[in-house]
Amino acid sequence: METGKPARSRDTLDRRHEGIESKVEGFNDRARRALEDEFLHESVARFTKKSVASRQAALERLPEAPELRETAYRIKQETMANLDRYLEQLAGAVEERGGKVFFASDGEEVVNYVGELARRRGSKVVTKSKSMATEEIELNRRLEESYGELGLEIIETDLGEWIAQLAGDHPSHIVAPIVHMNRHQIADVLSGVAGEALPPNVEDLLQFARKRLREKFLAADIGITGVNFGVAETGTICTVTNEGNGRLVSSVPPVHVAVMGIEKVIPKLEDLSVFTRILGRSSTGQDLSVYTNLVTGPRQEGELDGPEEFHLILMDNGRSDLLGTEFEEALYCIRCGACLNVCPVYRQTGGHAYGSTYSGPIGAVITPLLKGNEEAKDLPHASSLCGACTEACPVGIPLHELLLKLRNRQVDEGLAGKGQSVAFKGFENTMKSPALYKISGKVGRMAQKPLVKDGKIGRKLPGPLAGWTGTRDLPALAKKPFRELWREGI
Amino acid sequence: MADRAEFIKDIRSRLQNHRSRGEYRPTHAPDVPWTPSAERRRESPVSGDLPARFLGELEALGGHGRRVASIEEARDYVLSLARERGAELLVRWDEEELEELGVDAPVREAGTEVSVWRDLPDFREVAGSAEIGLTTADWAVAETGSLVVTSGPGHGRSVTLLPPTHVAVVRVEKMLPTVAEAIALYAKNGGLPANVCFHTGPSRSGDIEQALAIGVHGPGDVHVVLVG
Amino acid sequence: MFIPCYVDLVYPEVGVSVVRVLRRLGVEVTYPEGQTCCGQPAFNSGFFEEARTVARHFLDVFESEECDYVVCPSGSCATMASHYYPLVFEGLAGERARSEALGARVREFSDFLVNVLGVRELGARHAGKAVFHCGCHQRRELGVLEEPRELLRDVEGLDLLEWRNEELCCGFGGTFSVKMPDVSTAMADEKIRALEESGADTLISGDSSCLMHLEGRLQRTGPATRVYHLAQILDTEDGEVV
Ligand code: SF4
Repeated sequence: METGKPARSRDTLDRRHEGIESKVEGFNDRARRALEDEFLHESVARFTKKSVASRQAALERLPEAPELRETAYRIKQETMANLDRYLEQLAGAVEERGGKVFFASDGEEVVNYVGELARRRGSKVVTKSKSMATEEIELNRRLEESYGELGLEIIETDLGEWIAQLAGDHPSHIVAPIVHMNRHQIADVLSGVAGEALPPNVEDLLQFARKRLREKFLAADIGITGVNFGVAETGTICTVTNEGNGRLVSSVPPVHVAVMGIEKVIPKLEDLSVFTRILGRSSTGQDLSVYTNLVTGPRQEGELDGPEEFHLILMDNGRSDLLGTEFEEALYCIRCGACLNVCPVYRQTGGHAYGSTYSGPIGAVITPLLKGNEEAKDLPHASSLCGACTEACPVGIPLHELLLKLRNRQVDEGLAGKGQSVAFKGFENTMKSPALYKISGKVGRMAQKPLVKDGKIGRKLPGPLAGWTGTRDLPALAKKPFRELWREGI
Repeated sequence: MADRAEFIKDIRSRLQNHRSRGEYRPTHAPDVPWTPSAERRRESPVSGDLPARFLGELEALGGHGRRVASIEEARDYVLSLARERGAELLVRWDEEELEELGVDAPVREAGTEVSVWRDLPDFREVAGSAEIGLTTADWAVAETGSLVVTSGPGHGRSVTLLPPTHVAVVRVEKMLPTVAEAIALYAKNGGLPANVCFHTGPSRSGDIEQALAIGVHGPGDVHVVLVG
Repeated sequence: MFIPCYVDLVYPEVGVSVVRVLRRLGVEVTYPEGQTCCGQPAFNSGFFEEARTVARHFLDVFESEECDYVVCPSGSCATMASHYYPLVFEGLAGERARSEALGARVREFSDFLVNVLGVRELGARHAGKAVFHCGCHQRRELGVLEEPRELLRDVEGLDLLEWRNEELCCGFGGTFSVKMPDVSTAMADEKIRALEESGADTLISGDSSCLMHLEGRLQRTGPATRVYHLAQILDTEDGEVV
């Protein structure tokens, strides 16, 4: 509290305040920038609103939705508990169908595998369909860096991803990668590729993109896709897209490489019908995404198209650390994006504020888990814990509880900062003792006197309350607390 | 290169460590109701007139569907489609049923070249330049308006994918109520084709300012003729 | 009765209204004076150990009181005691069981009125056009969404309006409001825009913490709006909040 000696106390308090905020600086700074971007704000709000409404409508049409959710959770639980077995089964089934399987511990190994494959095949053009796993390990950039001598041209083929790639930007939503860009920005980016000025209207931009990408699809030597589900029983990988790029990338080039996080395995083919029924509905409100593509090994005898070689890369990259821990449920995610769409924080900031491949609630959970708490210290705090994410998640991941547990882990690891630790020790001591609690109330009432006007504190305070009082009034403590009124008789 | 045995062993030991220490968690299944509607119907939502449901769903997705009584009518549908699109090349699957349909000659007569998916020197060139791809389908799913197309000799994946117009001629016996039932059939029979794809309406994207764009990569013009 | 610490210290009038409403309905109200806080601030910030001490104190105080229910005029604090204590005491079987037993008796104020007492009509009167903000814990963890509305619908003279995106969080979130002030404020602003659009002149909630946040922002920027806890509206005398 500010008292009679402002100079000194303000000085110390201000510094302490910075100390607290620096824990969350990355997110706050990026969020502040996002909040100033009017288009982004409006576009994200529009997109999420539409997605939430379509999702709800789609679920209303699905009477068995709650049972499906429960089943999905159980399937994932069963899978993780026996992940070793299911991964072996999946690998065996793929190989039986003539596919190749590679287990990669981290991104580096994925990069090298793909790089060496490209070298062996003498490949030049690589097309990719949207894959969060390869985004996560920055496959494109690292391939270009480590295998520069091959002169690979790597092209994202999801419309949004492609534009993001051309703009040197990152996707800001799992499902809608360039929800943050407007048509003028997009026209600028595409004009650069076209070598002429394209008008900023959607139809022209689309026509250009379609034509340009079509050439790439046909010219590609290798197609890389992500995997939504990998079926252990049959060795089938399922990739879901709306544009059809996933299906093209896995059908036209002579080599198909599927990069899959190890948590994406499911035991049986029939389990797929559980997940396909919830994925499209949760994601965009579609009963089924346009192309739900099941690939089982390379092309077979007598087929003219489809890949001659099929490679499945099973990537760990930190995932196995979560197995069997209280954070395991984070691995159940099917990347539908529903938690982003309902999140009131995401809604204000968009995805880039999270500074991670994965944004929104699942991003706030998975990023510190995969990258380490140090790296993403602020993300578990980028939530009001309102629980909308947990409510929306089609596989029942208790996202906001995981955020709480992550905050707890920061405290245990001593990452919470001195100021906070002292404050909550004080809180603990006060609240366990009714006498001390009473006295603190009294002290507070006395100390606030110089600050209070009309029953409230109406200006920015220094110190830990600066965050609040910068933008909001703070009510004063009442003259008499309830307990006194109770004593006096109500 | 990660060694597979090591990789699997590592995962196994993590699981076992937690289990043996009795701390294997996650703790609970979801307890928050998922759908806002209080009264939920329990029966399967798909029953009754399956072809009608299918055509309705497909229409709603921006596709075109028609139920015809005879193979002749189906042929006429394809013929007039080729005319309307002013197509120079139609590519079709090499498939018994499509032979019976007998569209090749009349379509050629109408000025559209026909390629059949067999012995092609470069499939990309053919499928990439055709305006229309003609196929059958394994199944048509009423619930979602989906076609299930599979790969195999004569069944080019590209035929359903590269031409801007895709038309499928499907016998009405191939209707299934739900996606789950289609998947269950493949699961029961075992031995999946190298590729099975559920096509649910025309290709679409909302990536540019959320404007609905049809036919970005896959066909934007999708027709299903249900015969019988 | 559990009066959360900030209600005790900042909004004692809410506690008074709760007592008066309950007594009017013939409920025998006791107020264990040893009570302090449910421990949520520490818990939400990840200080589980500190929260545990406070939760333990809560258990001690309320277990030793002879009562059928612990009624609390805050959906959030009621959730803490009824839903999150088991998590706080994870791995401590004895205390976990104690917290589960006590938690089953903890009821949010409107939940208690409607679902335990079976009350709807309280004979309250208050003129105004109001929107109701349901705190997130109350909405999602407790599922007590309709009860306060039912009670408010029967308040004479009160026009209960719908407002846009009413399910969105107000942006308070405890320490979130201090750690992420910009986003938190933007969230409040969105609520306030919706409030303005609805044409309401009164904002009501079952959680004084959400109200503290929204009112704090309203006082800086928003339109003149009267802000009340549900209990205050139900306790009106001659149409006036006491
Ligand atoms: S956490 Fe749940 S809601 Fe969020 S993307 Fe993953 S599956 Fe969807």
